[in-house]
Amino acid sequence: MSRDRSDKEKDTLKGTFTSVMLLGGFIALSWLGVFILFINR
Amino acid sequence: MTATVMQASAADNKRPFDGKDAKLVLAHLLVAFTALLLGGVAGVLQGLVRGGMIELPSEIGYYQILTAHGVLMALIFTTFFIIGFLYAGVSKTMGGKLLGVVSRMGWAGYVLMTVGTILGTIMILANEATVLYTFYAPLKANPFFYIALVFVVVGSWISGYGIFTQYRYWRRTHKGSVSPLFGFMAVATMLVWQIATIGVAITVLFQFIPWSFGWVEKINIMISRTLFWYFGHPLVYFWLMPAYMCWYICIPKIIGGKIFSDSMARLSFVLFILFSIPVGFHHQLMEPGIAPVWKYIQVVLTFMVVIPSLMTAFAMFATFEQTGRAKGARGLFGWLKTLPWGDVRFFAPFMGMLVFIPAGAGGIINASNQMNAMVHNTLWVTGHFHLTVATTVALTFFGVAYWLIPHVLGKQLTPRMNRLGIIQTIIWLIGMFFMSGSMHTVGLFGSPRRTAYTTYGDHPDAVFWMPYHVAMAIGGTILFIGVILMFCNMIALMRAPKGDEKTAAEFPIGETADAAEPTPKWIERWGVWVGVLVVLILFAYTVPFGDMLVNPAPGSKPWVTW
Ligand code: HEM
Ligand SMILES: [Cu+2]
Repeated sequence: MSRDRSDKEKDTLKGTFTSVMLLGGFIALSWLGVFILFINR
Repeated sequence: MTATVMQASAADNKRPFDGKDAKLVLAHLLVAFTALLLGGVAGVLQGLVRGGMIELPSEIGYYQILTAHGVLMALIFTTFFIIGFLYAGVSKTMGGKLLGVVSRMGWAGYVLMTVGTILGTIMILANEATVLYTFYAPLKANPFFYIALVFVVVGSWISGYGIFTQYRYWRRTHKGSVSPLFGFMAVATMLVWQIATIGVAITVLFQFIPWSFGWVEKINIMISRTLFWYFGHPLVYFWLMPAYMCWYICIPKIIGGKIFSDSMARLSFVLFILFSIPVGFHHQLMEPGIAPVWKYIQVVLTFMVVIPSLMTAFAMFATFEQTGRAKGARGLFGWLKTLPWGDVRFFAPFMGMLVFIPAGAGGIINASNQMNAMVHNTLWVTGHFHLTVATTVALTFFGVAYWLIPHVLGKQLTPRMNRLGIIQTIIWLIGMFFMSGSMHTVGLFGSPRRTAYTTYGDHPDAVFWMPYHVAMAIGGTILFIGVILMFCNMIALMRAPKGDEKTAAEFPIGETADAAEPTPKWIERWGVWVGVLVVLILFAYTVPFGDMLVNPAPGSKPWVTW
C-alpha cells in the first residue's frame, strides 16, 4: 500500500500539469491586459 | 510500424570529437561571437544615443550602426552559430565524423558566408548600405550589399546540403532504424531554411540587384516586402529550432534525466516546419494592398504554432518533473529544487526558456490584428525580439558554447569557467530586464522603434518617454558588459586545460525515457511534410501574391536618404 503510494508519487506529472495551466493563464492575462488597453484607446 | 531509435550511450557522449570537424565547428563559432561583439558595440551605442547620453560623431549615422547591429546580430551571429552547432551534432550522432564531401560542403558554405559577411560589413561601414537589416525598398544600398547577401544565403544553402548528405548516408547505412533525434531535427531546421530563403533569393536576384545597378528603373515595393516576410518569419524559427534542439536533446542529459518522448519532439518539429512558413502576412498586417481575408487566414495559421510551442513547454516541464521525482522529489513543485542550478549548461538555457514565457505571450499579442495596430513599429516590438532571439535563443546558444567548445577540443569545462558562465547569464538577465522591460512599456505608450534621439520639439508625450529611454540605455550598457564577458569566455573556453576521458567536457545527448512510446517510422516521410507545406504555402499566398503581380502598384525609384 505504502509502496503503491510512493510509486504514484514517482510517476505523477501533476506539477507539469499545474505549470502548463499557469503558463496558459499567464498568456491569457497578458493578452487580455493589452486588449483592454486597446479597447480603452 | 515502429523501429528502434539508435540510443546514444554515455560512452558516445564522452568519445573524443573528430579533430578535423572540430576546426569547422570552431571556425563557425569564431565568426558568430565576433559578430556578437561588433553588434554589441553598435547596440550599446544605440541605447546611449536614444537615452540622450551621447551623440555620435558626425561621420557615423544612427541608422548606419542600427543596420550593422541588425545584420550582425540577427543574421550573422545566429546563422554561423546554428550551422556550427548543427554540424557538430550531426558529426557526433551520425557516424562520429563528417563524410569527406560533407566536410567540404561545410567549408565551402563557411567561406562563402564569411566572404559575404565581410563584404556586407564593409558596405555598411562605408555608409553605402544604411537600409537596416530588413533592406526595405525603396531605400537603396550599394549593389554589393545585396551581392553580399547572396553570398551568405548561397553559402548557407551549401552547408544545408552537407547536413542532408550526411543524413541520407546515415539512413542508407542504417536501414530500418529511426534516425538520431539530433539528425532529424537538424534536417528539419535546414529544410525550413532552404524553403524560406527562396523568398529572399527571388527578391534580391530579380528585384534589388537589377534595380540597384540601375538596369531597371523601378521596384515593386509590395512584392519585395511580401517576399521578405515570406522569409522573415521562418527566419525566427530557424533561430528557435536549434535552441529547442538543445532543450529537447541536451538538457535532459545535463539534468541527469531522459527525453520525455522522442516522437513528441519530432512531431513538434514537423509542426514547426508546417506552420512557420505560410504566415509572413502577420508582419504586414498594417500594410495596404493585401485583402483582409488573406491576412486573416495567415493569422489563423500563425496561431497554429501555439500547438508545437505548448507541446515543447509541456515536454520541458515533464522532463524536469520526471527527473526530479526519480531523484526522490515530492510535492507539487519539489522537483524544481533538484535541478542543477549551479551548472551553466543548464542554467543559461533554462533562463532562456523562462524568458520565452513573456516572449511568447508578447508574440501572441503582436499577431492579434487589432493589438498589432497598437504596437506596430513601436519599441514594444524591439523589446519583444530582444526577449525571443536576444535572450531565449542567445542564452541557449551561450549555454551550448560552454560545453561545445571544450568538447570539440577535448578540453574541460572548469569550475571557474562554469562560474563565469553563471555570472554572464545573470548580467544578461539584469540588462535585458531593464532594456526590454522599458522597451515594452514605452512602446505601449507609443514610442517608435528605429528612431534616433529626438524629443519631437519637446512634445509632452515624447518628454514623458525619456526616462524609459534612459532605463533602456542603462540596460543596454549592462548587456554590453555581458557581451564582452561572453566573448572573453569563448576565448577562455578555447584555451581551457586539456581533459582526459573522465574530465573532458561531454556532448550531452539525451536518451529517451523507457516508458515512452517507440517512434513511428512515418515521422521521417519528408516528402509528405514538404508536400503538405507546399499546399499550405500555395493556399496562403497564391491569390494575394497573384493580385500584387496582376494589379501592381506603381513602382518606386531608388532612394538614398542618408
Ligand atoms: C549588447 C546587447 C544589445 C543591445 C545593447 C541592444 C540594443 C538595441 C537597441 C537599443 C535597438 C533598437 C534601436 C531602435 O529601434 O532605434 C536594437 C535593435 C535590434 N536588436 Fe539589439 N541589442 C543587443 C543585443 C541584440 C542581440 C543579441 C540581437 C539578436 C541576436 C539583437 C537584435 C536586434 C535587432 C534585429 C534589432 C532591430 C534592428 C532594426 O530595427 O533594424 N540585439 N538593439
Ligand atoms: Cu513572425
